[in-house]
Amino acid sequence: MIMRDAEVRRAPSPTVPSARAGATGPIRVMPAIGGRHPMAALLLLCAVMLTCGAGRAGAAPWQDDAGAAPPATEEAAPTAAADDAAERWLAIRGGTVHTVSGPVLRDVTILCRGTRIAAIGRGLEIPEGAEVIDATGHRVYPGLVAVRSSGLVGADPPEETTDAFSLAAVTALAGGVTTVFSGSGAYKVAYRSIDDMVVRKDLHVPLAYGTRDPQGRRRLRENFDRLRRHQQEVEAWERRRRDEPDAKKPDEAWIRGDLARYRALLRGEAVAVFTADRVHDLLQVVDFVEQYGIRAVVVGATEGWIVAPELSRARVGVIVTPRARQDADDRLNRENGSNIENAAILHRTGVPVAIIPSQTGVSFGGLGGRDLLHLRLEAAFGVRGGLSNDAALRAITLDAARILGIEDRVGSIEVGKDADLIVADGDILHYATHARWTIVNGRVAYDKQAEGIFDHIRPDGDWDAPPPADHWPRRLGMPW
Amino acid sequence: MTRPMHPTSPMGTMARAIAMAMALLPVVLSAAVPAHAQGSDDGTTIAFRVGKVITMDDEERVINNAVVLVQNGRITQVGRARAVEIPAGSRVIEQPQAWLVPGLVELHNHTAGALGDLNDLVYLANPGLRSLETVVPESPNVKRARAGGVTTALLIPGSGTNITGFGTIVKFSGPTVDDMVVQSPGSLKVAQAGNPERYWFGVGRTMMNYNTRRTLEGAKAYHDAWVRFESGESAERPRFNPIYEDFRGLFTWDMIASVHTQQYQVVMTTVDMLANRLGLFTVLDHSTFDAWKTAPLVLEAGHVMTICGPRAFYLDPTQRRFNGIAARWWQGGLRDLGINTDAPVIPQEELSYQAAMGVYYGWKPYEALKGITRIGARALRIESRVGSIEVGKDADFGLWTGDPIDPRSQCLMTVIDGRVHYDAAVQRVF
Repeated sequence: MIMRDAEVRRAPSPTVPSARAGATGPIRVMPAIGGRHPMAALLLLCAVMLTCGAGRAGAAPWQDDAGAAPPATEEAAPTAAADDAAERWLAIRGGTVHTVSGPVLRDVTILCRGTRIAAIGRGLEIPEGAEVIDATGHRVYPGLVAVRSSGLVGADPPEETTDAFSLAAVTALAGGVTTVFSGSGAYKVAYRSIDDMVVRKDLHVPLAYGTRDPQGRRRLRENFDRLRRHQQEVEAWERRRRDEPDAKKPDEAWIRGDLARYRALLRGEAVAVFTADRVHDLLQVVDFVEQYGIRAVVVGATEGWIVAPELSRARVGVIVTPRARQDADDRLNRENGSNIENAAILHRTGVPVAIIPSQTGVSFGGLGGRDLLHLRLEAAFGVRGGLSNDAALRAITLDAARILGIEDRVGSIEVGKDADLIVADGDILHYATHARWTIVNGRVAYDKQAEGIFDHIRPDGDWDAPPPADHWPRRLGMPW
Repeated sequence: MTRPMHPTSPMGTMARAIAMAMALLPVVLSAAVPAHAQGSDDGTTIAFRVGKVITMDDEERVINNAVVLVQNGRITQVGRARAVEIPAGSRVIEQPQAWLVPGLVELHNHTAGALGDLNDLVYLANPGLRSLETVVPESPNVKRARAGGVTTALLIPGSGTNITGFGTIVKFSGPTVDDMVVQSPGSLKVAQAGNPERYWFGVGRTMMNYNTRRTLEGAKAYHDAWVRFESGESAERPRFNPIYEDFRGLFTWDMIASVHTQQYQVVMTTVDMLANRLGLFTVLDHSTFDAWKTAPLVLEAGHVMTICGPRAFYLDPTQRRFNGIAARWWQGGLRDLGINTDAPVIPQEELSYQAAMGVYYGWKPYEALKGITRIGARALRIESRVGSIEVGKDADFGLWTGDPIDPRSQCLMTVIDGRVHYDAAVQRVF
């Protein structure tokens, strides 16, 4: 009943025009109702029940068999739940696909199997039982990556403590955000399911190296020097060991906690994160990074536009807020202060740029446009400052994923990558655009017309839709 | 006991700095000459050759490939490029891709007094205070506002007490305060519930409404007495009262009441008390939370205008729904609907982005742009001078790279009274 994986992979690649393009016609896909085909859902449910019944005697189909799941590891291994989901198919057809890593593809189908993208192309056969989204007239983008977040992921360990039904999560999904950085790891925005929410942990090591704390800077350098000397001693020991098998290995017991994290930085296994805005702090970071040859990211970089060549030379990535506002101090006899062109200048100079709004949580207080729901519009302010639309989109997708070191999983629409997608009713950088569906790990996590939060706003593109009913308190002039 | 302060207005934290402000003010005034303000008040004509003019006139015309002529600070001609003859000797500004859009009008701005020289928390009602004394030309706020295409603003006191004083309608021009002022007093700032109850223990809504009503009824009685005297109906000359004298413009609609008011029940009280009973031209300055439910009352009153902000949405907790404030008022039948920033709550240069937020949450783009131009001017009752691109009106406009409410668009140039007060090519600010 369900097409084999191998058969699907023979589908034409997205870049090669399909010889079977004409075949899209005969494939009958009934229009999706509310984003889900009821028959497809029923068939899928049957399939899942059959699979469960056959494979795991005694386990009820709704149990995720968590006991058999391997212990959480740094790399999110496929869990039992994911194995169950491997036969879950989702097809998004008819949309204009902005792959980010490649060209814009018109009228193609994206086929997701389990949590991954299985195929992209024209004329793909959609497996029977697949959930089908008709994205005609819509644009498809990779899910957005928020390189900073708050309030969306639970306390450590997030995969056990995250609220799977939080309003913040569904609101972030409505803004197209599917991956967020929190603590020191990257996680999927979990809504209704926390399966496979861990993308990767221990990505960033925060370091403080500011001009205001010379003692702290000295201590950090001393620690790094000590670790580097130790590394040289280990290398010397390894050479000596060939002649002296009994040579004593240098003591490593002291390399714990912060020192262990620093060693990971020196080995290139992790990325250091600094918070620095002003020129003098940024230059200190550049010095440090170049001295120890570590990989680094700077959060803030409000004055990065002034020292962009230095940041580029040190291969430092930046996480910036294009609208950051720091009035220039005219008493300083040099350029200073914020600049709306910051992101564009840094990008042009070759510095990897990720964009983040000034509020990294989801705001419910009423002040709109500065929180994670509007991540895409912060990127639009980057365009105002001179970024191209493409570069701005990358700064919240693929380049953001690169800055986190998870670009092998998320950030673009490619076969083999995670099935995190936005089906939007317009240009993702336009202020009027809403996500119609947001897909996380191959599941429809947000469906605008099914969720109550934005369903009344331009349903099906209707700009003159009537207002929703307010039940209480009654409106003046209306009957009780 | 510490006096309660407005949590978001600049006034709260600034009271300590009054002495510093007094010392700085003359310095700021004398140093504040925009380096590149080039004018047309010497009789020369400036011709703006642009890609598109959003006129916001009564016919709501949009003219492509247009020319706008400016002389002595006024607009003298608007039309298709081939239909407008540019006089010899004109200075021509060629921006063939740009949109020329009326200067944006902000109705709720607290950036006067940013030096801490405005304390409206003296009494629960402070009739007589004026934001005029605290206007600082060429402040960073003014420069940023211009870079966001904002040309006119109502600078008002805070909302910590029921009546916090008189606002000032200014243009973000300069170099002196006199150059900036369009009208002072430009509005009476009234604050209904939502802040003044923190003024002192026991100040509840009953006390606040009593206090506001009593003050305004006193002013109205004073005004009525003078009207009777001036019309000859009464021979008794009223005793001059310097505080109530400033209120007289309110009752002749030469000045508006700009009202900090939000939430369903509070807005009903505002409309009932200020518009219906006292007859004031009332501008609802926040209109947020579920205030849209009063739309039928506002429509019925007729002389009430609604300027939404700084909140763009209201999350209805019982129905789990994001309601767009402007969208819900629009759906309720309001057509004279504007947007404000409550600067510096939202930075002044983001007025256009506030309009975009209105659209994200369900409003319409053209109406949102109208809400920060023509409607703003209408609410200030200076529609005959600003708010649209029409012959005879003040030459206040911005040149934009595209749709002004799209955050991707940049304001290239801001012209106020026919002078170029901001040119991104000289020094970009936003």
